Amino acid sequence: MKKKSFFVQYPVFTIFAVLALMIILAAVFAPVICGDRDPLKGSLADSIQPPSREHIFGTDKMGRDIFTRVMYGARISLSATFILVGIVFVTGTVIGIISGYFGGIVDAVMMRTADMMMSFPGLVLAIAVAGILGASIPNAIIAISVVTWPKYARLARSLVLKIRHADFVEAAIVTGSKTPYILLRYMLPNVVPTAAITAATDIGGMMMELAALSFLGFGAVPPAPEWGHMLNEGRNFMQSAPWLMIFPGLAIFVTVVVFNMLGDSLRDILDPKEKAR
Amino acid sequence: MKNIMKKTSALILGAVMPAAILSGCGSGSGAQTAQTQAENAEMAAPAAQTESAAEKTLTFGCQMYSDGLINPASQTNCAWNCMRFGVSEALFKFNDNMEIEPWLAESYEVSADRLTWTIKLRDGITFSNGTPLTATKVKESLDWVREKGPDGSSNPQKYLEFDAEVTADDAANTITIKTVTPYVNLTGNLAYPVMAIIDVAETSDFDSGVIGTGPYKVKEFHDQVGFDMIRNDNYWNGDVPYDNVKILFMGDASAKANALRAGQVDLVENITNVADIKSLQEDSSYTVDIASGVRCGFTWMNQSGVLANDTLRQAILMAIDYDTICSSNTIGGLYTAGFSVLPSTLAYGYDKLTNPYAYDPDGAKKLLDDAGIVDTDGNGIRELDGKDIDLTYVSYENRMLNDFSDAHTMYLADLGIGVTARYGSSDDQWNALVAGDYDLNNNNWTTVGTGDPTEYMANWYSKSGADYCAYQNDEYDKLYEQLLNEADTAKRADIIRQLQQILVNDAVAIVDGYYNSSMAYSKNVGYAHIHTADYYWITTEIRPAD
Repeated sequence: MKKKSFFVQYPVFTIFAVLALMIILAAVFAPVICGDRDPLKGSLADSIQPPSREHIFGTDKMGRDIFTRVMYGARISLSATFILVGIVFVTGTVIGIISGYFGGIVDAVMMRTADMMMSFPGLVLAIAVAGILGASIPNAIIAISVVTWPKYARLARSLVLKIRHADFVEAAIVTGSKTPYILLRYMLPNVVPTAAITAATDIGGMMMELAALSFLGFGAVPPAPEWGHMLNEGRNFMQSAPWLMIFPGLAIFVTVVVFNMLGDSLRDILDPKEKAR
Repeated sequence: MKNIMKKTSALILGAVMPAAILSGCGSGSGAQTAQTQAENAEMAAPAAQTESAAEKTLTFGCQMYSDGLINPASQTNCAWNCMRFGVSEALFKFNDNMEIEPWLAESYEVSADRLTWTIKLRDGITFSNGTPLTATKVKESLDWVREKGPDGSSNPQKYLEFDAEVTADDAANTITIKTVTPYVNLTGNLAYPVMAIIDVAETSDFDSGVIGTGPYKVKEFHDQVGFDMIRNDNYWNGDVPYDNVKILFMGDASAKANALRAGQVDLVENITNVADIKSLQEDSSYTVDIASGVRCGFTWMNQSGVLANDTLRQAILMAIDYDTICSSNTIGGLYTAGFSVLPSTLAYGYDKLTNPYAYDPDGAKKLLDDAGIVDTDGNGIRELDGKDIDLTYVSYENRMLNDFSDAHTMYLADLGIGVTARYGSSDDQWNALVAGDYDLNNNNWTTVGTGDPTEYMANWYSKSGADYCAYQNDEYDKLYEQLLNEADTAKRADIIRQLQQILVNDAVAIVDGYYNSSMAYSKNVGYAHIHTADYYWITTEIRPAD
């Protein structure tokens, strides 16, 4: 029997992968799509114009083209989100593996720290951290990383504990394998798939948290075209000029949904439990 | 099936979350604002209930300055709060033409050398605790504020010098103030909220329980939320229309407008965004009262940093299109454009001033090019002394200041000058200003606080201690000292005109424009009025609808 193509076999994944790719491409090629429009330049004389042929999403308070700002905003939101997810994935996994493998005092210190971080409501702690560091995208990434890494660390630790005393690990130790080798060769491969799925499903959520921080004034600073920040800028005009909020809001919504569904379908493919059913 | 359910719920979640984020949030100080609003909602509920009873209650939404505290000696904002909330009154007050009228005082006399001021007090005035207002009480108050002043930032010595001696004559009901330096306008100074007369002997909680002579007194203070005020039964000056006044602090203009529309408050001050004020004006359920502006929005340019460069400052002024900003849909006429730090409506010769740095973007670029301030590394930012020009812009979300700052940033980017925004609360802005930790600092000031702009113009007098932008011009200083000693009104006006021209010529500040204050109220209120002088919000003029 001829084996079905991967993409045909998983149509949901395929659809959302294509959509996600389109969003990424839109971000990468924003200058091409928007022509010579500058997301930071406008004219106060054209401020708060409703959508028209010239400005299909209308203009904002500074007379800037909202379509251009939404497109360029994808660059900020996507890159910041990927960096954020990358950071928490790497740090969380590494800490979790070390903690699970060595146990004892190392484990106790790391996990109690993680517990401490997790005992606060995430966004509130992130606001506190971002507030202390000052408003900027890198600081927002740091703030959310600080509150998110324990999730990955606990996950990685539990996966490591499952195989810590398995025969093949004991055998490796007995035959004189070096610790770094064991960590890399046996522990890491056991952790990465599950952590990666978690990371994929987290992209949407992380994007929302970054947008939330920017909305609250703890992330992007003006005049950056960041979606959460654009929502905040348009807030006062919610009733009289709703396009100021609708389009950046829609951009957040679409992107978050696409990445959430992509992560979901990826889990459906990779998660052994789902497969077994 | 399970999968479809899961995906549907994910979709719904995706749609709901942005809405949840939106609804929970206010301005820059997000968490706090959200909490405050939640508490406000709790407070408003009983307010609505009492309205149906015989008691008359006014709910008033206003900006929170300096945590809403009301100690006149601690901070200028606190002194303003105290008077604005209807707690304190002063010996004199300003009418809407900014003329000085007696208030707690009845009349005054001044000696020819302007060193001895004898002020006759009105008879029959009592504090809200029933203690009569005597000359001794007034002396105690004026002495107290100057004694406590150095611990805070109210600077009472700006209105009455430390060396001035106040003597009380209870029998004649007069106080006599003997000053060392002659005062031109002491009555105006005594009208300033910092110099309000309070019962210092019996006030125990100065932060939130000051005892004054005003129509309302504090019943309870809710930190970060507001005040519960009740009628001062001992009020001396006519009927007090309300039994209770609930003051609720609101984070931003939209919050105030929405609270008004939702019936959570009856009256709000200064809705500062065009969209809301226009929609309220068009809605017959609300009345909007606007006072012509004596406030000036302006951006300090810190001359202790890169902006010490005269050419750079001049080019910045020429790069900004002030008229277009003020007439745009964003600002929408809530500001009137102008180039002097004193409003064009005041009688200080605005018409005779000349502006060498009117909007001229090409001229601005040429000015910098000619001065060798050019972009050599092709990154779009000009360099000065080998470094990219990157100005730190401090601003806060009040009276559209952030919009002005954004607009300025855009025009400066066009000129090839980088700007990094550092927007925060009004306290952040003030602290940065006093510490000199900024390049550009946007704020909005009352220009004729004591009836004329002497105090305000001290912002550029290098010996005033209020010269927060490190500006120094001997000619200005000399002229300003002349102003301090000039009593003739016409001559003073001319000196003030000359001072303005020097500031314009020296390119000291980016003038946003002249701000128009406003109050908006619902049908629950019969009449309310925003005064030209910004010190009087809760007054006995505000009365319930019949």
